[in-house]
Amino acid sequence: MIRLDGVSKIFPGVKSLDKVGFEAVAGEVHALLGENGAGKSTLIKTISGAYIPDEGTIYFDGKKHKWGSPKEAKDAGIHIIYQDLVLFHELSVAENIFIGEAPLTRFGTIDYKTMYEGADEILHRLGHHIDVQALVKSLSVADQQMVEIAKALVGETKLLVLDEPTAMISGREAELLFERIKLLRDEGVCIIYISHRLEEIFSIADRVTVLKDGQLIGTRNIEELDRDQLVGMMVGRELKDIFPSKRVPSLEAAPVLTVRNLCAPPKVKDVSFDLHAGEILGIAGLVGAGRSEVAHALFGSIPRSSGTVTLGSEGFNNPSPRESINRGLGFLTEDRKGEGLMLLLDTSANISAPALPEFTTATGLDRAHEIQVAKDEIDRFRIAVPGPESGVSKLSGGNQQKVLFGRWTRACRRVLILDEPTRGIDVGAKVEIYEIIRQLANDGLGILLISSELPEIVGLCTRVLVMREGFITGEVEGSQIIEEVIMKYATAERESMALDVA
Amino acid sequence: MSDVKSIRSYLKIFKQLGGLIVPLSLVILVGTAILLQPSFLSINNVQDILTQAAPLALVVLGQAFVILVRGLDLSVASLMASAAVLATAFNAASDAMIPVIFLVTIVASAGVGLINGLLVAKRNVSPFLATLAMMIVLQGIRFYYTQGAPSGSLPEGFRVLGAGRLAGIPVNMLVFFFFFCILGWLLHKSSFGRKIYITGGNPKSANLVGINADRVTITCYVICSVMAGIAGLFLVGFVGTVDNWVGRSYEIDAVVACVLGGIMLTGGKGTLWGAATGALILILIFNIVIILGLPVQAQLIIKGIIIIFVAGLFSRSTQH
Amino acid sequence: MAYSKSRYLVRRFQLDPSLIIVILLLSIVVISGFVLSDRFGTTRNFMNVLEQSSGLGFASIGQAMVVIVGGIDLSIGAVVTASTIFMAAVVDLHPGLMIPMIFGTLLFGAMIGFCNGYLTIKTGVHPLVVTLGTASILNGSVLIYTLQPTGGVPYWFEEFAYGRIWNVPISGLVMLSCFALTWLFLRYFQAGRAFYAVGESPEAARLSGIQSSRVILLAYSASGFFAALAGVYFVSRTGVGDPRIGDPITLASITPVILGGLILGGGKGNVLGVLLGVILISLLGNLLNYMNISTFIQWVIQGVIIIIAVSVYVDKGEKL
Repeated sequence: MIRLDGVSKIFPGVKSLDKVGFEAVAGEVHALLGENGAGKSTLIKTISGAYIPDEGTIYFDGKKHKWGSPKEAKDAGIHIIYQDLVLFHELSVAENIFIGEAPLTRFGTIDYKTMYEGADEILHRLGHHIDVQALVKSLSVADQQMVEIAKALVGETKLLVLDEPTAMISGREAELLFERIKLLRDEGVCIIYISHRLEEIFSIADRVTVLKDGQLIGTRNIEELDRDQLVGMMVGRELKDIFPSKRVPSLEAAPVLTVRNLCAPPKVKDVSFDLHAGEILGIAGLVGAGRSEVAHALFGSIPRSSGTVTLGSEGFNNPSPRESINRGLGFLTEDRKGEGLMLLLDTSANISAPALPEFTTATGLDRAHEIQVAKDEIDRFRIAVPGPESGVSKLSGGNQQKVLFGRWTRACRRVLILDEPTRGIDVGAKVEIYEIIRQLANDGLGILLISSELPEIVGLCTRVLVMREGFITGEVEGSQIIEEVIMKYATAERESMALDVA
Repeated sequence: MSDVKSIRSYLKIFKQLGGLIVPLSLVILVGTAILLQPSFLSINNVQDILTQAAPLALVVLGQAFVILVRGLDLSVASLMASAAVLATAFNAASDAMIPVIFLVTIVASAGVGLINGLLVAKRNVSPFLATLAMMIVLQGIRFYYTQGAPSGSLPEGFRVLGAGRLAGIPVNMLVFFFFFCILGWLLHKSSFGRKIYITGGNPKSANLVGINADRVTITCYVICSVMAGIAGLFLVGFVGTVDNWVGRSYEIDAVVACVLGGIMLTGGKGTLWGAATGALILILIFNIVIILGLPVQAQLIIKGIIIIFVAGLFSRSTQH
Repeated sequence: MAYSKSRYLVRRFQLDPSLIIVILLLSIVVISGFVLSDRFGTTRNFMNVLEQSSGLGFASIGQAMVVIVGGIDLSIGAVVTASTIFMAAVVDLHPGLMIPMIFGTLLFGAMIGFCNGYLTIKTGVHPLVVTLGTASILNGSVLIYTLQPTGGVPYWFEEFAYGRIWNVPISGLVMLSCFALTWLFLRYFQAGRAFYAVGESPEAARLSGIQSSRVILLAYSASGFFAALAGVYFVSRTGVGDPRIGDPITLASITPVILGGLILGGGKGNVLGVLLGVILISLLGNLLNYMNISTFIQWVIQGVIIIIAVSVYVDKGEKL
């Protein structure tokens, strides 16, 4: 169905795809696996025509293709469901399903009646009922996901690509989705399925292709593989070499952070937990479960509505981020470029940002001191940057992340919140970051680790909180910390769900 | 698609010249001017040009602060005229009133800047709309007060401030230099300046490192308005008479100067030195237009071309 | 499931909360008009208001289309001005070209709009800056050509502005039909729906197979077209080309757009709301005139309305 031959795509400073060969045939579910930054997204954007490959050729349906735009690929029968839903909130469900290819009347106007009926029929085929005239902005995330899938059923889809379709939906909805996918496969559609949840891959895929750092590792039939082999292919080394050994902290001393009944509408509901010095406490859960919002509510970057928080031995209620920093809290956010780095400023300014008061003197900013501090951090974390006065925008993801570690470990004395600290960085850098996290905990910081990468949670944490829909639904410790248990809590159906959605 | 690439690659070549563009264009402009008019660099002419440049340069200093925090202030010209009208409202004859006039102007301008800043930072109003609305509000109040025809007089001392010289150096240029030093220190040496760059470069991130981005933004608008108010007083001193349109088109001129000086309209990048140079370049261009015998209105065309293409040069999307 | 006609007709109008505010304000103005002035509530007066509001109406349609795709057009006033001069000057020389020149002028406007769109896409500079630049270029060109009102058109052409059919002003009818056609286009045509998709996210629209840049070009061309139509209307009204007539139109064209619930940043809104905004502004001006409130105070009111409207609606709007 589709074949890529020696395809490369180069971005400034990164070779995102390096001579990748890939083939998927009609009537199969072909899983595409790899860590963040392995090149999966680039690969599908190349297939979809959103990126034009710098070298190599794409064959579709046996013919050589060079798509100039997503529209051409779409017309050829390729449909992509992106991880970030491509929906238009001010348009109706039906309009979104038929975007760009609405049925027309003989006057050339949109035939709304036919369109609504068509949308109804498609959703019916998916076993899902939504008011097709409703605006998409009024739908829940799961319904929006269905709309996104429904789009693939308009016209003739020969190749369907799903990029992490289960990232935001519950277990039951995911099962429903798998049924639809198998149905489509049996109709002869070629399906490329991207996910990093291994259980899913084993339950749905026929073949699997693994990418790592932009290179093809290999394509296998799923029966030939077991779980560990697959992980080995993705990571390129054995799991035990990746994570530093765990150390259970002493839990006798009073906790450094206690949280009781914390609420921050709409995403954080009645969250309570303790964090001890030297502990790495994980927060797991699906995307949208409210994990990052807990972090923001603790840090003071979104308002709390109720609950009590104690930091050290004193109350810590409704702080501003400035107060949080002064009290010894650090927060490394998930969106490295959007909320973390200042890409226009140099390394030293990025490191000193939360500690500016420390560098302020009567005559202005103490630049010499600032640069010295930056040098120390660069040495300490072995950041590959020419010097404190060079920029951060061209650094690799791993080094950018280390700059942020430099920033927060300077400013933070008690508790460090890490939100997806290894997102989009390569394996080597991940290992370094894991060692840093371990070291920081050993030095006595309390660490709250939010991560979507379950192996990371399993490999680092001595205690894990699992969140779902804003609540903490489970707490696991010691030998209980395995992916299956965590996923059970993360996707467990709750009776309150119906209420929440309503 | 291909011509997008070619435009971008041309822009890239310019970008690689980077820091050389500004000094290079200064040299070229001065060179052209001398070729066209050999007496261009005579002391008298230079003094004239500087005197003429100072009010614009004062406005540009303020505008730079606002643009650095991703803003834009289109109310500066209206504020300049309003400051001038306010000054005549005192109908003062004695030079002793000058400090009072300045003080009142500064306070009133700061109030205007505060409103602009609050609207932008707290109410999330887009900067151009907030300041455009402020422009027309000030204009309405001014015209209502003057009933269309300003009257009133200024103390003699204003003439000295606006057009006088001290040891051969234009007085208003000295004042500009004073503000340039203070604001330059604030922007480039103090920790508040760092906060401006952080806020302009990444406002979300600014809040998360404990910087009150709203407060920084508001302060920048206040600085901009105060500079505009002061510039209005110097301009009226230079022109000598008040009318309702003193400073007309200075808002565009100030933005163009900032753009020329390499201040990125998307915020977070640029220097005060660049802004001041931008003002000088713009004034040079205006003078060359006149030397060439072109109609004054040709300046408008040149400004338009500059703002589009130079902004394209520095725009973020060309960095990819 | 079958869809009854009535059900989707109700959906079709999708009354936005912001429209309710406009309707509310409109009722307040109308009621106070009836109470405060005995000349306000007459058919004759309403027809006059309809006639006078046409220029603003045309300009606002264009502004609305650009705002829906996520842009802004600050060159509308300049295009209005340039169109009046272009038309009046050419017709003055060749009176026989009157009818072709109407279309010529509209084409002229659309071409300038096209340039705005093209430059926005190709340079990656914010449309605010690009259109500010083209406005400056146009104004400069016009002012070089003439500083005074100039040119002329045959007397009969004032029928467009002043003529009546069954006592209803022709210009008003044309404006209302333009609104109706635009509404139909945005509602019933694939390209019209694409406006909203592009306004919400050009990149997402591109991934959905919509050719975003064509949509953007179309929106800016339409804006130029309608600005030129406003120009034609003003020529008909005044009989000349006026180098200053467009100055207040740019800001004025934004006010109804914001009042109508369109959000700067794009992707939302209904041109019927814009029409209500135009009527509201025109009736308010009319009422204030009857109450002998100075034009200068009306400026202040306009500014305050913009600020209030924006700060009420803008909360989740993107800053420009």
